Amino acid sequence: MATLIGHSSILIIAVPLLIAFLTPLIGMASKKARNAIVIGGLAFVAFLVFALARDVILNGIHIYTLGATFPGLTIPEGTMVPVRIILEVDGVSVFMGIIVAIVSLVAVIYSLSAMKGETGQNSFYTLLLLMVGSTFGMVFTGDLFNLFVFLEIASISGAALIASRTRFADSQEGGFKYIVVSAIASLMILFAIGLLYAQYNLLNIGALAAAIQYTMLDRIALVILISAFVMKLGGVPMHMWLSDTYSVAPVSITVLLIAASQASMYALMRICFTLYGVTLDLAVVGWIIIAIGILSMFTGVTMAVRQTDITRLIAYNCVCEAGFMLVGLGVGLAVLGDVTALRTYGTTAISGAIFHMINHALFEGLLFLVAGAIFYRIGTRDLNQMGGLGHTMKFTAMFFLLGALASSGIPPFNGFASKILIYESVYQFNPILTIIGILVSIITLAVFVKAFFSAFTGASLPKYEDIKEVPKTMIAAMTILAVIIIIFGLFPGLVVDWIVRPATDALLGQTSYINAIVGVIP
Amino acid sequence: MTLIVESGYEFWNPIIWLIAFAVVMVIVYFFRRRGEEKYKKGEAQAQIFLCGEEVPGAEQRQVRGGNAYWGFFETLKEYYDVIVRPHTGIVNDYVVWFIAVVAISAIILFVVELVG
Repeated sequence: MATLIGHSSILIIAVPLLIAFLTPLIGMASKKARNAIVIGGLAFVAFLVFALARDVILNGIHIYTLGATFPGLTIPEGTMVPVRIILEVDGVSVFMGIIVAIVSLVAVIYSLSAMKGETGQNSFYTLLLLMVGSTFGMVFTGDLFNLFVFLEIASISGAALIASRTRFADSQEGGFKYIVVSAIASLMILFAIGLLYAQYNLLNIGALAAAIQYTMLDRIALVILISAFVMKLGGVPMHMWLSDTYSVAPVSITVLLIAASQASMYALMRICFTLYGVTLDLAVVGWIIIAIGILSMFTGVTMAVRQTDITRLIAYNCVCEAGFMLVGLGVGLAVLGDVTALRTYGTTAISGAIFHMINHALFEGLLFLVAGAIFYRIGTRDLNQMGGLGHTMKFTAMFFLLGALASSGIPPFNGFASKILIYESVYQFNPILTIIGILVSIITLAVFVKAFFSAFTGASLPKYEDIKEVPKTMIAAMTILAVIIIIFGLFPGLVVDWIVRPATDALLGQTSYINAIVGVIP
Repeated sequence: MTLIVESGYEFWNPIIWLIAFAVVMVIVYFFRRRGEEKYKKGEAQAQIFLCGEEVPGAEQRQVRGGNAYWGFFETLKEYYDVIVRPHTGIVNDYVVWFIAVVAISAIILFVVELVG
């Protein structure tokens, strides 16, 4: 077991990639065997993630150097700097790993029925596993260049998956937009990495963090990195691609896209807190992120409320929720240099943002799966065409209500627990931000009241009288998310203590992250 | 380790909230039980009554999603005119917004550096 945990970080990335290339071969022989190996593989990966999480929380940062004589040998003999590919997994990386593990397993279970009639399923599962493996890579890597490589793999596989239902023209357009936006973001990130490499001759995040001087070029790199990752996570005004792509992708892929966006949020946090840390203009950069967050919250929710396409409505709500995370993160960053403020409310703001990340993936994931279930049965996403579906799709209606209440921050669900952490900590920084946040939550409730009312309530429409509930595997996938939402809602203290607080401590522990790399001398 | 989330300012305990919710539900149930018990499902008293007019079919009775919050959108018409305009659906425009954010962020950062 100790050996397995010792190699777990690389296995978590390698197993999905390996199965990805086996899937088409197995799929040609038997579809059931292909499905079994995909689910079995991701279940094994999820087990590894939880085992690694336990190990990281109990024993600290996990280092894995590829090609070294032992995994902890970060700086090879004869060199002064880390040159190999190094995976560095701390509390926040493993927290992200938990999100990706849960979401990917749910997405695959849901896809078994939802994608049953589609063509090209072998390619679909291959791309899905590539996306899962690369998202794990993004959150586990300790190297900027590998972050770029994994981002590229996730973007390319994501675009292909969005466009995978070739009979829909809007899916093709969504895939095209996703690849254009992702390519621009990736290229700019590569350019920023080049600026840092040119100055310090380093790519390792820990080693770079120890060397960074915050020169003019570092500032340019910072601006580019922040803007590119904010675009990838759908921050306003660079959010417009998000509603165009999330709404047209198969919903199981949209759930993975949410996890990929969260990985971009993780990268943003890693850049700001670990790479630059206290060297940057904390108040200025913090306020830039807060401003984008507030814009995202308000624009996202006001655009969501006017949508009549249920998936676009949820997609705009994703923009809004990303705003909450950005505000929490921005406040934490703005007071990073002020020990008293950081201890009083800054740490809580960051914890709230981190807690909201997993909650967001869960409840938005559930809402998208419900929207997919509706589309699966009635073939439309248009709320104007819906009505009375709650009479025949009782479980689906219940899941939507649960996701909607959690997203709106209604107690006792998980969204409330993370939002209250953000509200109360941000209030001490600037009360106006909290007032905007509460207003946005109220409008979010109005958004989902409209959607629920339009789709599920009212008299049963004659054309939908014969509609049945969705297949059991789709119900099972939604049940998994619903159960986790309820557990997280009822026991938020345990979640915060077990995974959120270690993630926050890891994010603020820049020195530990650096020492784990440069402190190990051969 | 605790079941409570503490923000450093206040705390949140969903178990207490659930107990309070259960108490409220018991009170609501108490009042509900004191209501009319002679209701019979499927009889005339359960039918829709529109002042004697013919009740339209389910398709016509349903208030559609597009009709919800009409007053809200009318009141905020000017805001929505401004906010919807940039959502062109053209990917070139998305890239322009990215460039704008990079430029504005860089200017803010450098101006603050010069002033500071």
